[in-house]
Formats: sequence, structure tokens, C-alpha cells
Amino acid sequence: MSSTGIALFVFLGFALPIPLLAWLDRPRGHR
Amino acid sequence: MYAGHFAAALALKARLPRAPTWGLLAGVAVLDLLFGVFVLLGIERVTPTPGVPPGFILDFIDWSHSLAAALFWALLYALCFARLGVAVAYVMGVSVFSHFLLDWPMHPRDLALWPGSTGHVGLGLWRALPVGWWFVELAFVAAGCAYYAVRARRDGSFGGRWQWACAVVLALHVFNSPWLSSRS
Repeated sequence: MSSTGIALFVFLGFALPIPLLAWLDRPRGHR
Repeated sequence: MYAGHFAAALALKARLPRAPTWGLLAGVAVLDLLFGVFVLLGIERVTPTPGVPPGFILDFIDWSHSLAAALFWALLYALCFARLGVAVAYVMGVSVFSHFLLDWPMHPRDLALWPGSTGHVGLGLWRALPVGWWFVELAFVAAGCAYYAVRARRDGSFGGRWQWACAVVLALHVFNSPWLSSRS
């Protein structure tokens, strides 16, 4: 993997889980 | 450290439930999001080392990961949340700086004290314990998720799907294991 690949891998590896985890954290019944 | 940062965000959420979750999750990620951007812009440098854990050498990451930079980004990030009150702004700053604190045991001595400093810190578990580091981070992930789960069940204002949130963080840690990731 090139340095550009590592940079994208790290960036996406940290960015992508954020919306999923935030959604899972919402209280039950929340729309 | 990778999944451990997200476990830290969940633990901080449990500590101060009125802090916005997305802000904490982004906060613990800020330094590595900046790292990605800075490498693409040529401001920071990383050299791939295929087959040699952790798969790369961080040649220059002072603008995102040095002690002074982490403090600066933490302060700047906290100020962005000042309108939500001192407590929320403080925990947001803590989320950013926690990244440096959690990277310190894992990184070899590539965390500069300030940009351009010759002084570097890092306990180096990635290299000292090529497999064991994963279990050290697993212990932190387990502790953070356990704290989050207990508080979520008691509080009810957050963590509606705490089991899945903890499962996702654990899955990220498994994905980042020495056995599944060439990057380690």
C-alpha cells in the first residue's frame, strides 16, 4: 500500500464508523 | 490504537450524556483525520513497510500527532462547542487529547513533543509486543464498552442500541488484529 493508500485507509477507517456509532447511540424510540 | 479511540468516545459519552455523540466520536478521530489529510497534502509523511508491523513508519506526523499539536487541536475543538457550555466543551477537548494519550503506549517514539521537536515519545507496544498489543487494546476496549453499557442501561437517554455499538467497536478491533490486517 502506498503512502496515499495508507492516508485514505486511516482517514476512512476513522470517518466511516462515526455515523453508524452515533446512530446506534440514539435513545430507543428516537426518530 | 484504533478501536480503543472509539471505546474512549463511548466512555466519555457515558460520563457526560448531554455531550453530542457525533462530536465525541469525531473528537477522538480528529488527529487521524488530520493525519490523512496532511499526508495527502504532503505536509506529513508515512513510509509503507509491507510485512513489518505495524505496516508503516510514521516519518513525520508532528502537525497532527505531536503533544503540542494535540493540545492545540483539542483546545480549538473545545472552543467549537463552547456554546453548549463549559462541561461539554471540556469533554470535547478531552476527546481530542485522549487520542494522544492512547497512542502513546502503542506508538514507537514517533510522537514529537511539538512540530519539529527532536524530542519524541512513545512506549512502542506495537513493536515490543507484535501480537500482545492487540490484547492490551482489547482490555481498554472492553473497559470502555463496559462502562458505556452500564451507564446506558441506567440512564436511558443514550445508548439505545448499546449492545450493537459495543459490537461494532469490538468488530473494528478484530478487523484491526494482527491476524486479519496486514497493516496491524
